Amino acid sequence: MLALRDLRVNYGAIEVVHGISLDVAAGECVALIGANGAGKSSTLKAICGLVPVGSGSVQFEGRDITNASGHAIVRAGITMCPEGRQVFPQMSVIQNLRMGAYTRTDKDQDADLGRMMDMFPILRERQTQAAGKLSGGEQEMLAIARALMARPRICLFDEPSLGLAPKIVASVFETLAQIKAMGMTILLVEQNSMMALNLADRAYLFEAGRIVMEGPAKELKSHPDVMRAYLGH
Amino acid sequence: MLIEILQQTINGLAIGGVYVLIALGLTTVFGILGIAHFAHGSVSMFGGYLTFFLVTSQGLPVLAAIPIALVAGFVLGLLIEIVAYRPVRHANHINAFIVALGLTMMVEGINLQLFGHEQIVIPTGLSKVFRLGGVTVPELRIYVIIAAIVLVAAMMLFVERTKTGQAIRAVAENRDAAILMGVNVNSIPLIVFGISTSLGVAAGIMVGALFAIAPGIGEGFVVKGFAVLILGGLGSFPGAILGGTVLGITESIAAGFISSAYKDVIAFVVMILVLLIRPQGLLGRSP
Repeated sequence: MLALRDLRVNYGAIEVVHGISLDVAAGECVALIGANGAGKSSTLKAICGLVPVGSGSVQFEGRDITNASGHAIVRAGITMCPEGRQVFPQMSVIQNLRMGAYTRTDKDQDADLGRMMDMFPILRERQTQAAGKLSGGEQEMLAIARALMARPRICLFDEPSLGLAPKIVASVFETLAQIKAMGMTILLVEQNSMMALNLADRAYLFEAGRIVMEGPAKELKSHPDVMRAYLGH
Repeated sequence: MLIEILQQTINGLAIGGVYVLIALGLTTVFGILGIAHFAHGSVSMFGGYLTFFLVTSQGLPVLAAIPIALVAGFVLGLLIEIVAYRPVRHANHINAFIVALGLTMMVEGINLQLFGHEQIVIPTGLSKVFRLGGVTVPELRIYVIIAAIVLVAAMMLFVERTKTGQAIRAVAENRDAAILMGVNVNSIPLIVFGISTSLGVAAGIMVGALFAIAPGIGEGFVVKGFAVLILGGLGSFPGAILGGTVLGITESIAAGFISSAYKDVIAFVVMILVLLIRPQGLLGRSP
């Protein structure tokens, strides 16, 4: 479904992703794990058109979307739930959710809004409040729901657990598992490697802008190098 | 005394409406692009001049000239965005600042070349005066107040109720997140400049009909517009509305009770006092 080939990403003269290739098949949940600064988030941003691709290609459902503009990529069916939640702080919860459906013109948007609030009852409770007044965990739920409102074909999650209390992190992962069970194709970037590997079908391990290991999540979880470096065993 | 206050309040509402329309344009542009669009006043007055020209030289009825001027304002806004501000969008903010100053001088020059240095008043033919109790209200002033309310309400509805309006807010609040929602961030500034300039032109027409337009008037209004933004709270729509109304009424009351020569001084003194107590503006959020 999504295929990256020899992708390089640079910020000015500094290259942060040095030619990576990865694939996500429809219905799959793929995790990108690795240390801070390994190039995982930059990879996601390059897919979404937020940072330019230096060289290499991004293919989505057979179409080349390398360096397409951000809004065109969303219309193609790729939605990202960004790092740090990035809700629209002064807009209400409902307005944030409706922004998620910005590219849609169908009549099911209201029904989807109801479904999101069934899935996240806290959002129904807070629907008229400004998103900026919500707690971190609530904002994460809002960001996830907002991403789903686009009815994406693939949903990218960038560090969904970052900066949240352990209890909230667990509930974020429960939510992701729920979304996975709905059949959503997921590409997840996460520093919490254990949680990510528990959720994902497959994973890629990033180190300094390169992919150094890939395979089924179960295998990576029991690989001695991964255990030592990332899982704290 | 009470009648006099009421009288000046109504006068103030008319001029306040002009301030609000100018400030709404400025605050929307500032919110999206982070630029202080100084040329806004001169461009607004261009709209007033254009209406005057259409009515006096082309013999159009005022009601026909106004929509033409509003559409011309919209197109002019698009041009300003594409030609003046788009090239410096990714540059340092000081570049946009210099462009804004240059544009102000250019538009002032164009106004002077096209319409001359004489002050002009748009002939509306509305000369009836209503007397309610002891308060005299020229009918023109009532129409101006109503038009301002309608335009402000339309703008609020547009921003709150339409997808495009919500996208404008979204870009102002978080540009990257707006891109991730599928908002085309290249077309939003165009829409913003088009609408803002149209609102400005409406204000220019009001100034031309209520008072008079002359070279330099536009700069005065843009300064007032920014003052309104700061008074109301930067980036706040309700703040701009409240700020403009308060400034208009303060000025009128100052002119009526003290001296019209000091009305600006008094208005700014009131503004400074408000900001001393509420540095974030009347409806601004505390930092």
